[in-house]
Amino acid sequence: MTPILEVQGVTKDFGGLRANNDISFSVQKGELLGLIGPNGAGKSTLFNCVAGVYNVTAGHIFFDGREITNKKPYEIARLGLARTFQIFVASGDLSVLENIMVGSFLRTHSRSVAKQRAEEIIDIMELGDHVDHWVSELPVAAQKRVAMATALATQPKMLLLDEVAAGLNPTEIDGMMALIRQIHYDMGINVMLIEHVMELVMNISHRVIVLDSGNLIAEGKPEEIKQNPEVIKAYLGERFVAQQRREGA
Amino acid sequence: METLRNIFDFSDFPRKDVAVFGLFCVFLFIFPLIPHSSFSMATMIQFLMFALYGMGWNTIGGYGGQVDLGKAQFAGIGAYTTAVMLIRWNVPFWVSAPIGMGFAIIWSFVIGYPLFRMRGHYFAIATIATSLVLLDVFQVWDFVGGAQGLEIPLKKMPSFLYLQFRNDAYYYYILLFLFFIGFFYINWFRKSRLGFQLRAIKDNEEVARSLGINAHWCKIKAYAIATSFVAVVGSFHACYNFNIEPEDIMSLDLSILIAMMAMVGGAGSLWGPIIGAAVLVPLKSYLGSWLGGKAGLAGLDLVIYALIIMVIAAFEPRGIWGIVEKARRKRT
Repeated sequence: MTPILEVQGVTKDFGGLRANNDISFSVQKGELLGLIGPNGAGKSTLFNCVAGVYNVTAGHIFFDGREITNKKPYEIARLGLARTFQIFVASGDLSVLENIMVGSFLRTHSRSVAKQRAEEIIDIMELGDHVDHWVSELPVAAQKRVAMATALATQPKMLLLDEVAAGLNPTEIDGMMALIRQIHYDMGINVMLIEHVMELVMNISHRVIVLDSGNLIAEGKPEEIKQNPEVIKAYLGERFVAQQRREGA
Repeated sequence: METLRNIFDFSDFPRKDVAVFGLFCVFLFIFPLIPHSSFSMATMIQFLMFALYGMGWNTIGGYGGQVDLGKAQFAGIGAYTTAVMLIRWNVPFWVSAPIGMGFAIIWSFVIGYPLFRMRGHYFAIATIATSLVLLDVFQVWDFVGGAQGLEIPLKKMPSFLYLQFRNDAYYYYILLFLFFIGFFYINWFRKSRLGFQLRAIKDNEEVARSLGINAHWCKIKAYAIATSFVAVVGSFHACYNFNIEPEDIMSLDLSILIAMMAMVGGAGSLWGPIIGAAVLVPLKSYLGSWLGGKAGLAGLDLVIYALIIMVIAAFEPRGIWGIVEKARRKRT
Protein backbone atom coordinates (compact mmCIF):
# COMPACT_ATOMS: atom_id res chain seq x y z
CA MET A 1 0.00 0.00 0.00
CA THR A 2 1.19 3.48 -0.80
CA PRO A 3 0.34 6.43 1.40
CA ILE A 4 -1.61 9.26 -0.20
CA LEU A 5 -0.77 11.62 2.64
CA GLU A 6 2.34 11.41 4.73
CA VAL A 7 3.15 13.70 7.63
CA GLN A 8 6.73 13.45 8.93
CA GLY A 9 7.80 15.04 12.18
CA VAL A 10 5.65 18.15 11.84
CA THR A 11 6.20 20.77 14.52
CA LYS A 12 4.35 24.07 14.68
CA ASP A 13 5.15 26.88 17.10
CA PHE A 14 3.16 30.04 17.64
CA GLY A 15 5.63 32.31 19.38
CA GLY A 16 6.51 30.38 22.50
CA LEU A 17 3.58 28.01 22.26
CA ARG A 18 4.13 24.62 20.69
CA ALA A 19 0.83 23.65 19.05
CA ASN A 20 2.10 20.53 17.28
CA ASN A 21 5.10 18.58 18.49
CA ASP A 22 6.91 16.22 16.10
CA ILE A 23 3.81 14.57 14.67
CA SER A 24 4.13 11.76 12.15
CA PHE A 25 1.39 9.69 10.56
CA SER A 26 0.28 8.60 7.14
CA VAL A 27 -2.97 7.91 5.33
CA GLN A 28 -3.04 4.96 2.93
CA LYS A 29 -4.94 5.06 -0.32
CA GLY A 30 -8.46 3.89 0.35
CA GLU A 31 -8.18 4.40 4.09
CA LEU A 32 -10.61 6.52 6.07
CA LEU A 33 -8.66 8.19 8.85
CA GLY A 34 -10.10 9.99 11.85
CA LEU A 35 -8.21 12.58 13.87
CA ILE A 36 -9.54 13.28 17.35
CA GLY A 37 -8.44 15.13 20.44
CA PRO A 38 -9.80 17.40 23.15
CA ASN A 39 -10.15 21.15 22.69
CA GLY A 40 -6.81 22.84 22.17
CA ALA A 41 -5.04 19.59 21.30
CA GLY A 42 -3.73 21.06 18.05
CA LYS A 43 -6.08 19.31 15.63
CA SER A 44 -6.96 22.41 13.68
CA THR A 45 -3.35 23.59 13.65
CA LEU A 46 -2.24 20.28 12.17
CA PHE A 47 -5.06 20.45 9.67
CA ASN A 48 -4.07 23.97 8.66
CA CYS A 49 -0.42 22.94 8.29
CA VAL A 50 -1.45 20.16 5.91
CA ALA A 51 -3.75 22.49 3.96
CA GLY A 52 -1.05 25.15 3.65
CA VAL A 53 -2.70 27.85 5.75
CA TYR A 54 0.21 27.74 8.23
CA ASN A 55 3.86 27.17 7.45
CA VAL A 56 5.33 24.41 9.59
CA THR A 57 8.19 25.15 11.99
CA ALA A 58 9.81 21.81 11.20
CA GLY A 59 8.96 18.60 9.39
CA HIS A 60 7.73 17.50 5.98
CA ILE A 61 4.37 16.75 4.41
CA PHE A 62 3.92 14.65 1.28
CA PHE A 63 0.75 14.29 -0.75
CA ASP A 64 0.35 11.79 -3.56
CA GLY A 65 4.12 11.37 -3.94
CA ARG A 66 4.91 15.09 -3.89
CA GLU A 67 6.20 17.28 -1.13
CA ILE A 68 3.66 19.95 -0.20
CA THR A 69 5.39 21.35 2.88
CA ASN A 70 4.75 25.11 3.14
CA LYS A 71 3.06 25.28 -0.26
CA LYS A 72 0.26 27.82 -0.56
CA PRO A 73 -3.37 26.69 -0.01
CA TYR A 74 -4.34 27.24 -3.64
CA GLU A 75 -1.35 25.21 -4.87
CA ILE A 76 -2.30 22.35 -2.58
CA ALA A 77 -5.92 22.51 -3.76
CA ARG A 78 -4.76 22.33 -7.37
CA LEU A 79 -2.76 19.17 -6.58
CA GLY A 80 -6.01 17.54 -5.48
CA LEU A 81 -6.14 18.00 -1.71
CA ALA A 82 -9.42 19.72 -0.81
CA ARG A 83 -10.67 20.82 2.57
CA THR A 84 -13.76 22.19 4.29
CA PHE A 85 -13.95 24.83 6.99
CA GLN A 86 -15.42 24.47 10.46
CA ILE A 87 -17.51 27.54 9.98
CA PHE A 88 -18.53 28.23 6.43
CA VAL A 89 -18.88 32.00 6.46
CA ALA A 90 -20.39 33.42 3.33
CA SER A 91 -21.54 37.01 3.17
CA GLY A 92 -24.28 35.99 0.79
CA ASP A 93 -23.16 37.25 -2.57
CA LEU A 94 -23.20 33.81 -4.17
CA SER A 95 -26.05 31.33 -4.42
CA VAL A 96 -25.55 27.66 -3.58
CA LEU A 97 -25.15 26.76 -7.26
CA GLU A 98 -22.69 29.60 -7.81
CA ASN A 99 -20.67 28.58 -4.75
CA ILE A 100 -20.28 25.07 -6.07
CA MET A 101 -19.46 26.41 -9.55
CA VAL A 102 -16.55 28.35 -8.03
CA GLY A 103 -15.17 24.94 -7.03
CA SER A 104 -15.69 23.35 -10.43
CA PHE A 105 -14.10 26.34 -12.19
CA LEU A 106 -10.77 25.09 -10.82
CA ARG A 107 -10.60 22.41 -13.52
CA THR A 108 -12.26 24.20 -16.42
CA HIS A 109 -12.53 27.62 -18.04
CA SER A 110 -15.92 26.92 -19.60
CA ARG A 111 -18.97 28.17 -17.76
CA SER A 112 -21.26 25.47 -19.14
CA VAL A 113 -18.87 22.68 -18.10
CA ALA A 114 -18.51 24.22 -14.65
CA LYS A 115 -22.27 24.44 -14.29
CA GLN A 116 -22.82 20.89 -15.45
CA ARG A 117 -20.28 19.51 -12.96
CA ALA A 118 -21.78 21.60 -10.18
CA GLU A 119 -25.22 20.20 -10.98
CA GLU A 120 -23.91 16.63 -10.86
CA ILE A 121 -22.53 17.26 -7.39
CA ILE A 122 -25.73 18.96 -6.30
CA ASP A 123 -27.56 15.73 -7.17
CA ILE A 124 -25.13 13.60 -5.18
CA MET A 125 -25.27 15.91 -2.17
CA GLU A 126 -29.06 16.22 -2.39
CA LEU A 127 -29.00 19.99 -2.50
CA GLY A 128 -31.47 20.24 -5.37
CA ASP A 129 -34.02 22.19 -3.31
CA HIS A 130 -31.51 24.88 -2.37
CA VAL A 131 -29.72 25.80 -5.62
CA ASP A 132 -31.01 29.36 -5.78
CA HIS A 133 -30.76 30.13 -2.09
CA TRP A 134 -27.98 32.04 -0.44
CA VAL A 135 -25.82 29.87 1.77
CA SER A 136 -26.58 31.99 4.82
CA GLU A 137 -30.29 31.24 4.44
CA LEU A 138 -29.82 27.49 4.85
CA PRO A 139 -29.97 25.36 7.99
CA VAL A 140 -26.59 24.31 9.43
CA ALA A 141 -26.73 20.77 8.04
CA ALA A 142 -27.35 22.02 4.53
CA GLN A 143 -24.59 24.63 4.89
CA LYS A 144 -22.14 21.85 5.76
CA ARG A 145 -23.26 19.91 2.70
CA VAL A 146 -22.70 23.00 0.52
CA ALA A 147 -19.19 23.37 1.95
CA MET A 148 -18.47 19.71 1.16
CA ALA A 149 -20.02 20.00 -2.30
CA THR A 150 -17.90 23.06 -3.09
CA ALA A 151 -14.74 21.22 -2.06
CA LEU A 152 -15.78 18.12 -4.04
CA ALA A 153 -16.38 20.24 -7.13
CA THR A 154 -12.63 20.86 -7.35
CA GLN A 155 -12.34 17.12 -8.20
CA PRO A 156 -9.95 16.25 -5.38
CA LYS A 157 -8.08 13.00 -4.73
CA MET A 158 -8.45 13.52 -1.03
CA LEU A 159 -10.87 15.48 1.14
CA LEU A 160 -10.09 16.83 4.59
CA LEU A 161 -13.25 17.39 6.63
CA ASP A 162 -13.05 19.78 9.56
CA GLU A 163 -15.75 19.10 12.17
CA VAL A 164 -18.54 18.39 9.72
CA ALA A 165 -20.72 16.94 12.46
CA ALA A 166 -20.45 19.87 14.87
CA GLY A 167 -23.84 21.39 15.55
CA LEU A 168 -25.84 18.60 13.93
CA ASN A 169 -28.59 16.56 15.60
CA PRO A 170 -28.41 12.74 15.75
CA THR A 171 -30.54 12.24 12.62
CA GLU A 172 -28.39 14.68 10.69
CA ILE A 173 -25.24 12.96 11.93
CA ASP A 174 -26.56 9.67 10.53
CA GLY A 175 -27.14 11.39 7.20
CA MET A 176 -23.65 12.86 7.31
CA MET A 177 -22.14 9.42 7.96
CA ALA A 178 -23.92 7.99 4.94
CA LEU A 179 -22.70 10.90 2.86
CA ILE A 180 -19.07 10.50 3.95
CA ARG A 181 -19.22 6.80 3.19
CA GLN A 182 -20.63 7.59 -0.23
CA ILE A 183 -17.81 10.07 -0.93
CA HIS A 184 -15.17 7.64 0.29
CA TYR A 185 -16.36 4.38 -1.22
CA ASP A 186 -18.54 5.30 -4.20
CA MET A 187 -16.69 8.36 -5.44
CA GLY A 188 -13.30 6.92 -4.50
CA ILE A 189 -12.08 10.05 -2.74
CA ASN A 190 -9.88 9.52 0.30
CA VAL A 191 -11.44 11.12 3.36
CA MET A 192 -9.74 12.30 6.51
CA LEU A 193 -11.93 13.51 9.37
CA ILE A 194 -11.23 15.87 12.20
CA GLU A 195 -13.96 15.44 14.71
CA HIS A 196 -15.27 16.18 18.10
CA VAL A 197 -18.31 13.99 17.74
CA MET A 198 -16.99 10.57 18.82
CA GLU A 199 -19.90 8.61 17.46
CA LEU A 200 -19.19 9.64 13.90
CA VAL A 201 -15.45 9.03 13.97
CA MET A 202 -15.66 5.70 15.77
CA ASN A 203 -18.33 4.43 13.43
CA ILE A 204 -16.79 5.13 10.07
CA SER A 205 -13.01 5.44 10.48
CA HIS A 206 -10.71 2.56 9.64
CA ARG A 207 -8.04 4.01 11.84
CA VAL A 208 -7.99 6.82 14.38
CA ILE A 209 -5.14 8.99 15.60
CA VAL A 210 -5.38 11.00 18.80
CA LEU A 211 -3.75 14.31 19.64
CA ASP A 212 -3.39 15.75 23.12
CA SER A 213 -1.58 18.99 23.99
CA GLY A 214 0.16 18.97 20.64
CA ASN A 215 1.43 15.37 20.89
CA LEU A 216 0.27 12.29 19.06
CA ILE A 217 -0.65 10.00 21.94
CA ALA A 218 -2.33 7.06 20.26
CA GLU A 219 -2.98 5.46 16.92
CA GLY A 220 -5.05 2.43 16.03
CA LYS A 221 -8.40 0.91 15.15
CA PRO A 222 -11.45 2.60 16.69
CA GLU A 223 -12.03 -0.31 19.08
CA GLU A 224 -8.43 -0.12 20.30
CA ILE A 225 -8.65 3.62 20.74
CA LYS A 226 -11.77 3.25 22.86
CA GLN A 227 -9.86 0.95 25.21
CA ASN A 228 -6.64 2.95 25.31
CA PRO A 229 -6.22 4.31 28.86
CA GLU A 230 -4.21 7.34 27.67
CA VAL A 231 -6.98 8.36 25.34
CA ILE A 232 -9.69 7.78 27.87
CA LYS A 233 -7.86 9.96 30.34
CA ALA A 234 -6.97 12.73 27.89
CA TYR A 235 -10.01 12.93 25.76
CA LEU A 236 -13.02 11.02 26.89
CA GLY A 237 -12.68 12.39 30.38
CA GLU A 238 -13.68 11.26 33.83
CA ARG A 239 -17.33 11.01 33.00
CA PHE A 240 -16.74 8.49 30.24
CA VAL A 241 -14.48 6.43 32.50
CA ALA A 242 -17.15 6.43 35.16
CA GLN A 243 -19.76 5.40 32.64
CA GLN A 244 -17.60 2.52 31.43
CA ARG A 245 -17.19 1.32 35.00
CA ARG A 246 -20.92 1.40 35.49
CA GLU A 247 -21.44 -0.59 32.31
CA GLY A 248 -18.79 -3.06 33.41
CA ALA A 249 -20.38 -3.50 36.81
CA MET B 1 -19.49 30.08 -29.64
CA GLU B 2 -20.11 29.70 -25.95
CA THR B 3 -18.36 33.00 -25.30
CA LEU B 4 -20.55 34.74 -27.87
CA ARG B 5 -23.66 33.31 -26.26
CA ASN B 6 -22.52 34.40 -22.81
CA ILE B 7 -21.89 37.98 -23.95
CA PHE B 8 -25.53 38.41 -24.91
CA ASP B 9 -27.00 36.25 -22.18
CA PHE B 10 -29.18 38.17 -19.74
CA SER B 11 -31.32 35.21 -18.76
CA ASP B 12 -30.42 35.48 -15.07
CA PHE B 13 -32.23 38.84 -14.88
CA PRO B 14 -36.01 39.21 -14.78
CA ARG B 15 -37.45 40.07 -18.20
CA LYS B 16 -38.67 43.41 -16.85
CA ASP B 17 -35.14 44.57 -16.05
CA VAL B 18 -33.89 43.79 -19.53
CA ALA B 19 -36.92 45.53 -21.05
CA VAL B 20 -36.33 48.67 -18.98
CA PHE B 21 -32.68 48.67 -19.96
CA GLY B 22 -33.66 48.18 -23.62
CA LEU B 23 -35.92 51.22 -23.47
CA PHE B 24 -33.13 53.19 -21.85
CA CYS B 25 -30.80 52.15 -24.71
CA VAL B 26 -33.35 53.40 -27.23
CA PHE B 27 -33.38 56.72 -25.40
CA LEU B 28 -29.57 56.82 -25.47
CA PHE B 29 -29.57 56.23 -29.23
CA ILE B 30 -32.11 58.90 -30.11
CA PHE B 31 -31.12 61.49 -27.52
CA PRO B 32 -29.00 63.64 -29.92
CA LEU B 33 -31.91 63.64 -32.39
CA ILE B 34 -34.46 65.09 -29.99
CA PRO B 35 -34.18 68.80 -29.18
CA HIS B 36 -31.76 69.40 -26.34
CA SER B 37 -29.67 72.14 -24.82
CA SER B 38 -25.90 72.04 -25.05
CA PHE B 39 -25.88 71.78 -21.26
CA SER B 40 -27.93 68.58 -21.28
CA MET B 41 -25.73 67.20 -24.07
CA ALA B 42 -22.63 67.87 -21.96
CA THR B 43 -24.34 66.18 -19.02
CA MET B 44 -25.17 63.11 -21.11
CA ILE B 45 -21.56 62.84 -22.26
CA GLN B 46 -20.47 63.08 -18.64
CA PHE B 47 -23.00 60.39 -17.79
CA LEU B 48 -21.56 57.99 -20.37
CA MET B 49 -18.00 58.71 -19.26
CA PHE B 50 -18.79 58.11 -15.61
CA ALA B 51 -20.85 55.03 -16.38
CA LEU B 52 -17.76 53.61 -18.11
CA TYR B 53 -15.48 54.64 -15.28
CA GLY B 54 -17.89 53.00 -12.85
CA MET B 55 -18.16 49.78 -14.89
CA GLY B 56 -14.39 49.51 -14.80
CA TRP B 57 -14.24 50.17 -11.07
CA ASN B 58 -17.02 47.64 -10.53
CA THR B 59 -14.83 44.73 -11.71
CA ILE B 60 -12.32 45.08 -8.89
CA GLY B 61 -14.35 47.13 -6.42
CA GLY B 62 -17.78 45.59 -6.88
CA TYR B 63 -17.30 41.97 -7.93
CA GLY B 64 -13.92 41.68 -6.22
CA GLY B 65 -14.83 43.73 -3.14
CA GLN B 66 -11.52 45.63 -3.13
CA VAL B 67 -12.37 49.29 -2.53
CA ASP B 68 -10.02 51.14 -4.83
CA LEU B 69 -9.80 54.91 -4.36
CA GLY B 70 -6.96 55.56 -6.78
CA LYS B 71 -8.50 55.13 -10.19
CA ALA B 72 -7.80 58.71 -11.31
CA GLN B 73 -4.11 57.93 -11.81
CA PHE B 74 -5.03 55.58 -14.65
CA ALA B 75 -7.38 58.12 -16.23
CA GLY B 76 -4.38 60.45 -16.09
CA ILE B 77 -2.08 57.95 -17.76
CA GLY B 78 -4.60 57.47 -20.58
CA ALA B 79 -5.24 61.19 -21.01
CA TYR B 80 -1.55 62.13 -20.95
CA THR B 81 -0.53 59.39 -23.37
CA THR B 82 -3.10 60.57 -25.89
CA ALA B 83 -2.30 64.27 -25.43
CA VAL B 84 1.49 63.92 -25.50
CA MET B 85 1.47 61.62 -28.52
CA LEU B 86 -0.87 63.95 -30.38
CA ILE B 87 1.09 67.10 -29.60
CA ARG B 88 4.58 65.71 -30.19
CA TRP B 89 4.11 63.10 -32.90
CA ASN B 90 0.65 63.81 -34.29
CA VAL B 91 -0.64 60.34 -33.33
CA PRO B 92 -4.41 59.80 -33.76
CA PHE B 93 -6.67 58.95 -30.82
CA TRP B 94 -7.42 55.44 -32.09
CA VAL B 95 -3.72 54.58 -31.91
CA SER B 96 -2.78 56.44 -28.76
CA ALA B 97 -5.77 55.22 -26.72
CA PRO B 98 -4.70 51.53 -26.87
CA ILE B 99 -1.11 52.54 -26.15
CA GLY B 100 -2.28 54.57 -23.15
CA MET B 101 -4.28 51.56 -22.04
CA GLY B 102 -1.11 49.49 -22.33
CA PHE B 103 0.88 51.93 -20.19
CA ALA B 104 -1.90 52.04 -17.62
CA ILE B 105 -2.06 48.23 -17.45
CA ILE B 106 1.72 48.00 -16.99
CA TRP B 107 1.51 50.58 -14.18
CA SER B 108 -1.41 48.68 -12.63
CA PHE B 109 0.74 45.54 -12.46
CA VAL B 110 3.64 47.46 -10.94
CA ILE B 111 1.57 48.94 -8.13
CA GLY B 112 -1.02 46.14 -7.95
CA TYR B 113 1.54 43.55 -6.91
CA PRO B 114 2.41 45.24 -3.59
CA LEU B 115 -1.03 46.86 -3.11
CA PHE B 116 -2.90 43.58 -3.06
CA ARG B 117 -0.71 42.33 -0.24
CA MET B 118 -2.93 44.62 1.82
CA ARG B 119 -6.58 44.19 2.64
CA GLY B 120 -9.63 46.28 3.47
CA HIS B 121 -9.03 49.82 4.65
CA TYR B 122 -5.27 49.51 4.29
CA PHE B 123 -5.68 48.70 0.64
CA ALA B 124 -8.04 51.65 0.08
CA ILE B 125 -5.67 54.10 1.75
CA ALA B 126 -2.68 52.76 -0.17
CA THR B 127 -4.48 53.25 -3.50
CA ILE B 128 -5.12 56.90 -2.59
CA ALA B 129 -1.44 57.30 -1.78
CA THR B 130 -0.20 55.85 -5.08
CA SER B 131 -2.55 58.10 -7.02
CA LEU B 132 -1.42 61.21 -5.15
CA VAL B 133 2.24 60.33 -5.67
CA LEU B 134 1.68 60.04 -9.42
CA LEU B 135 -0.21 63.34 -9.38
CA ASP B 136 2.80 65.02 -7.77
CA VAL B 137 5.14 63.48 -10.33
CA PHE B 138 3.05 64.81 -13.22
CA GLN B 139 2.88 68.26 -11.66
CA VAL B 140 6.65 68.69 -11.79
CA TRP B 141 7.36 66.74 -14.97
CA ASP B 142 8.09 69.27 -17.72
CA PHE B 143 7.84 66.75 -20.56
CA VAL B 144 4.11 66.48 -19.90
CA GLY B 145 3.55 70.16 -19.20
CA GLY B 146 4.01 70.24 -15.44
CA ALA B 147 1.32 71.78 -13.27
CA GLN B 148 -0.15 73.75 -16.19
CA GLY B 149 -1.01 70.62 -18.07
CA LEU B 150 -1.37 70.31 -21.82
CA GLU B 151 -3.39 72.11 -24.45
CA ILE B 152 -4.40 70.06 -27.47
CA PRO B 153 -4.00 71.99 -30.74
CA LEU B 154 -7.13 72.17 -32.87
CA LYS B 155 -7.07 70.71 -36.37
CA LYS B 156 -8.34 72.87 -39.22
CA MET B 157 -10.96 70.31 -40.19
CA PRO B 158 -13.07 68.09 -37.96
CA SER B 159 -11.40 64.72 -37.79
CA PHE B 160 -12.63 61.27 -36.82
CA LEU B 161 -9.05 60.05 -36.42
CA TYR B 162 -8.14 62.77 -33.93
CA LEU B 163 -11.56 62.90 -32.33
CA GLN B 164 -12.11 66.56 -33.06
CA PHE B 165 -15.63 67.61 -33.93
CA ARG B 166 -17.61 70.84 -33.99
CA ASN B 167 -20.77 69.06 -32.91
CA ASP B 168 -20.91 67.29 -29.57
CA ALA B 169 -23.24 64.63 -31.00
CA TYR B 170 -20.24 62.94 -32.66
CA TYR B 171 -18.44 62.69 -29.35
CA TYR B 172 -21.64 61.36 -27.89
CA TYR B 173 -21.98 58.53 -30.39
CA ILE B 174 -18.34 57.49 -30.12
CA LEU B 175 -18.72 57.34 -26.38
CA LEU B 176 -21.98 55.41 -26.75
CA PHE B 177 -20.12 52.89 -28.90
CA LEU B 178 -17.47 52.49 -26.17
CA PHE B 179 -20.24 52.26 -23.58
CA PHE B 180 -21.82 49.27 -25.29
CA ILE B 181 -18.47 47.51 -25.75
CA GLY B 182 -17.85 48.00 -22.05
CA PHE B 183 -21.35 46.93 -21.08
CA PHE B 184 -21.30 43.68 -23.03
CA TYR B 185 -17.78 42.93 -21.87
CA ILE B 186 -18.90 43.25 -18.24
CA ASN B 187 -21.93 41.09 -18.95
CA TRP B 188 -19.54 38.38 -20.11
CA PHE B 189 -17.01 39.07 -17.37
CA ARG B 190 -19.41 38.68 -14.44
CA LYS B 191 -20.19 35.10 -15.48
CA SER B 192 -16.66 34.17 -16.48
CA ARG B 193 -14.24 32.08 -14.46
CA LEU B 194 -12.45 35.19 -13.21
CA GLY B 195 -15.79 36.81 -12.33
CA PHE B 196 -16.80 33.83 -10.21
CA GLN B 197 -13.40 33.66 -8.56
CA LEU B 198 -13.51 37.34 -7.66
CA ARG B 199 -16.95 37.00 -6.13
CA ALA B 200 -15.69 34.03 -4.13
CA ILE B 201 -12.75 36.13 -2.90
CA LYS B 202 -15.14 38.89 -1.88
CA ASP B 203 -17.28 36.34 -0.06
CA ASN B 204 -14.47 34.72 1.88
CA GLU B 205 -10.86 34.92 0.80
CA GLU B 206 -9.67 32.00 2.89
CA VAL B 207 -12.29 29.67 1.46
CA ALA B 208 -11.53 30.92 -2.05
CA ARG B 209 -7.86 30.05 -1.66
CA SER B 210 -8.73 26.59 -0.40
CA LEU B 211 -10.62 26.08 -3.68
CA GLY B 212 -7.45 26.55 -5.71
CA ILE B 213 -7.87 30.26 -6.38
CA ASN B 214 -4.70 32.35 -6.41
CA ALA B 215 -6.43 35.34 -4.82
CA HIS B 216 -3.51 37.72 -5.24
CA TRP B 217 -3.16 37.09 -8.95
CA CYS B 218 -6.94 37.22 -9.52
CA LYS B 219 -7.11 40.65 -7.95
CA ILE B 220 -4.18 41.89 -10.03
CA LYS B 221 -5.90 40.67 -13.21
CA ALA B 222 -9.17 42.35 -12.29
CA TYR B 223 -7.29 45.52 -11.38
CA ALA B 224 -5.80 45.55 -14.87
CA ILE B 225 -9.26 45.16 -16.41
CA ALA B 226 -10.64 48.02 -14.35
CA THR B 227 -7.63 50.06 -15.38
CA SER B 228 -8.20 49.54 -19.09
CA PHE B 229 -11.71 50.98 -18.86
CA VAL B 230 -10.53 54.02 -16.94
CA ALA B 231 -7.53 54.67 -19.21
CA VAL B 232 -9.63 54.69 -22.38
CA VAL B 233 -12.12 57.14 -20.89
CA GLY B 234 -9.14 59.25 -19.80
CA SER B 235 -7.88 59.32 -23.40
CA PHE B 236 -11.33 60.34 -24.55
CA HIS B 237 -11.45 63.04 -21.90
CA ALA B 238 -8.24 64.58 -23.29
CA CYS B 239 -9.69 64.80 -26.82
CA TYR B 240 -13.09 65.99 -25.65
CA ASN B 241 -11.81 68.75 -23.36
CA PHE B 242 -8.82 69.82 -25.54
CA ASN B 243 -7.01 70.44 -22.30
CA ILE B 244 -5.77 68.38 -19.39
CA GLU B 245 -4.42 69.43 -16.06
CA PRO B 246 -3.00 67.06 -13.46
CA GLU B 247 -5.16 68.63 -10.72
CA ASP B 248 -8.23 67.82 -12.79
CA ILE B 249 -7.71 64.41 -14.37
CA MET B 250 -5.66 62.84 -11.57
CA SER B 251 -7.37 64.38 -8.57
CA LEU B 252 -8.61 62.55 -5.52
CA ASP B 253 -12.07 63.99 -6.31
CA LEU B 254 -12.18 62.04 -9.55
CA SER B 255 -11.00 58.84 -7.84
CA ILE B 256 -13.76 59.12 -5.27
CA LEU B 257 -16.41 59.99 -7.85
CA ILE B 258 -15.45 56.91 -9.88
CA ALA B 259 -15.84 54.69 -6.85
CA MET B 260 -19.12 56.39 -5.92
CA MET B 261 -20.78 55.62 -9.26
CA ALA B 262 -20.75 51.90 -8.57
CA MET B 263 -21.20 52.18 -4.81
CA VAL B 264 -24.28 54.38 -5.00
CA GLY B 265 -25.82 52.46 -7.90
CA GLY B 266 -24.98 49.02 -6.58
CA ALA B 267 -21.49 47.56 -6.35
CA GLY B 268 -21.17 44.09 -7.82
CA SER B 269 -24.18 44.37 -10.07
CA LEU B 270 -24.31 44.89 -13.83
CA TRP B 271 -26.74 47.81 -13.57
CA GLY B 272 -25.09 49.47 -10.57
CA PRO B 273 -22.60 51.82 -12.25
CA ILE B 274 -25.19 52.85 -14.85
CA ILE B 275 -27.77 53.69 -12.19
CA GLY B 276 -25.14 55.44 -10.11
CA ALA B 277 -23.97 57.57 -13.03
CA ALA B 278 -27.57 58.34 -14.03
CA VAL B 279 -28.27 59.66 -10.52
CA LEU B 280 -24.97 61.30 -9.59
CA VAL B 281 -23.86 62.93 -12.84
CA PRO B 282 -26.98 65.08 -13.35
CA LEU B 283 -26.90 65.88 -9.64
CA LYS B 284 -23.28 66.93 -9.98
CA SER B 285 -23.91 69.01 -13.12
CA TYR B 286 -26.96 70.82 -11.81
CA LEU B 287 -25.56 71.35 -8.36
CA GLY B 288 -22.35 72.63 -9.93
CA SER B 289 -24.11 75.13 -12.20
CA TRP B 290 -26.54 76.18 -9.47
CA LEU B 291 -24.03 76.58 -6.67
CA GLY B 292 -21.10 77.63 -8.83
CA GLY B 293 -22.55 81.11 -9.23
CA LYS B 294 -23.13 81.65 -5.55
CA ALA B 295 -20.10 82.75 -3.62
CA GLY B 296 -19.52 80.86 -0.40
CA LEU B 297 -21.50 77.80 -1.48
CA ALA B 298 -18.86 76.38 -3.83
CA GLY B 299 -18.00 73.35 -1.71
CA LEU B 300 -21.57 72.37 -0.92
CA ASP B 301 -21.79 69.73 -3.65
CA LEU B 302 -18.96 67.82 -1.93
CA VAL B 303 -20.89 67.96 1.34
CA ILE B 304 -23.90 66.47 -0.43
CA TYR B 305 -21.79 63.59 -1.86
CA ALA B 306 -20.44 62.92 1.59
CA LEU B 307 -23.98 62.73 2.95
CA ILE B 308 -25.02 60.32 0.19
CA ILE B 309 -22.05 58.07 0.96
CA MET B 310 -22.93 58.02 4.66
CA VAL B 311 -26.58 57.21 3.99
CA ILE B 312 -25.65 54.39 1.61
CA ALA B 313 -23.05 52.96 3.96
CA ALA B 314 -25.46 53.03 6.89
CA PHE B 315 -28.61 51.68 5.28
CA GLU B 316 -27.81 49.63 2.21
CA PRO B 317 -24.21 48.81 1.33
CA ARG B 318 -25.36 47.33 -1.96
CA GLY B 319 -26.60 50.73 -3.14
CA ILE B 320 -29.75 51.63 -5.03
CA TRP B 321 -29.85 48.29 -6.77
CA GLY B 322 -29.55 46.60 -3.40
CA ILE B 323 -32.71 48.39 -2.26
CA VAL B 324 -34.56 47.21 -5.38
CA GLU B 325 -33.43 43.61 -4.88
CA LYS B 326 -34.33 43.64 -1.21
CA ALA B 327 -37.83 44.89 -2.02
CA ARG B 328 -38.20 42.11 -4.58
CA ARG B 329 -37.09 39.37 -2.21
CA LYS B 330 -39.58 40.58 0.36
CA ARG B 331 -42.42 40.39 -2.10
CA THR B 332 -41.75 36.78 -3.11
